[in-house]
Amino acid sequence: MVTSLLTTDDLRQAQALVAESGLQFEPPYDDLVGVFESGQLVAVGARQGRVLKMLAVAPAHQGGSLLGEVVTDLVGRGYQEGVDSFFIFTSPALAPSFEAFNFNLLVSSGKTALLEYGDGLRRYLARYQRQVLPGDNGAVVANCNPFTLGHRYLIERAALSVDHLYVFVVREERSLFPFPARLRMVQEGTCDLPNVTVLDTSWYAVSSITFPTYFLKEGDPGGAIQMELDLLLFGTRIAPHFHIKTRFVGREPFCRTTAQYNAAMHSILPPLGIEVQEIERKSAIGAAISASRVRDLLVRGDLDGIAELVPVSTLDFLLSSEGIKIWTKGGVT
Amino acid sequence: MKITKKVQAGTLQSSDLMVFLEPAETLSVTIESTVLKQFGELIRAKVEEVLAKHGVEAGEVRIIDRGALDYAIEARLETAILRATEG
Repeated sequence: MVTSLLTTDDLRQAQALVAESGLQFEPPYDDLVGVFESGQLVAVGARQGRVLKMLAVAPAHQGGSLLGEVVTDLVGRGYQEGVDSFFIFTSPALAPSFEAFNFNLLVSSGKTALLEYGDGLRRYLARYQRQVLPGDNGAVVANCNPFTLGHRYLIERAALSVDHLYVFVVREERSLFPFPARLRMVQEGTCDLPNVTVLDTSWYAVSSITFPTYFLKEGDPGGAIQMELDLLLFGTRIAPHFHIKTRFVGREPFCRTTAQYNAAMHSILPPLGIEVQEIERKSAIGAAISASRVRDLLVRGDLDGIAELVPVSTLDFLLSSEGIKIWTKGGVT
Repeated sequence: MKITKKVQAGTLQSSDLMVFLEPAETLSVTIESTVLKQFGELIRAKVEEVLAKHGVEAGEVRIIDRGALDYAIEARLETAILRATEG
């Protein structure tokens, strides 16, 4: 029977089993569960948000149903917590044992494979089937926290050189402005451009799953691997669906993580048949426009300064009661 | 019966299935199965039969199947419906 591992002795056994299996014991987690046999822990697994990790079965008990029991339990508990899609990072060699449990391989690169429980990616692509247009299309992936004249400039320039431009707004809720607000700012700020469609990335691009370091803002080697998965997933699964031949990106003068991501794009996407075009940032009052600059000005309450950096539609939103509520809670309180 | 909360039933072991139910305005059924090509229609018919039997007219039903036989499908789905509608 699968049980929660809570006591000090449970944890000690879990750490030992995870380490024996050649994995890292990595807190934090939302759930840590396992199966005991005569007082001995023989299977273990954990869930952190949407990610299942530290899955291990003692060698003498492999080949049976234990792994399935642990994963079932973690999925069931996660679902109760409101998580409706689950991911596993594992080595490509172990991917088939998870595929047998209806996990689908999303992308695999070198030492890491990313799998998803169920067929969320296919359903995500199917949901946007009507927006798929023929031609040589392009893509911009952006967080737009908030939507600035810099984003507008990038999108305008990109839209000129392709048949159709897809703007993927990062779905992940790790930003000052919540996703629905960001999506709306982008939609309103681009609604006059006839060949631009605004979509969401779901969990499949620049998310805490595919690219966790984007949200940590650090430049460690672990991040490089995960950037690679993010770009491979984009290049092999998302881009072909939308006939995307070019990915556009703003040149990154400030943020090291984003600059690394741009560099990774140049090495990973062209071999997959996707051209990468870096577009020079638009400047205002002597410096490149960026969303972080807008957020700094918001904190200082410099609304005149912001008016120079964002389109009217974004300014209207920032000054609406809904908008004010969002940016004052970050600064004043 | 009306689905009032998000529930799950079943396991991902071989010959079993996972059922996920959640409230929705309309009824939608998605089925993923290792034997979808061979038995997809039969699975769907069974799911619809059980939903009709319990008078479920709205909700999002997601089935992830690993070759369960029809009585397993019925039992798992019935369990999920009872969990989703109790209290």
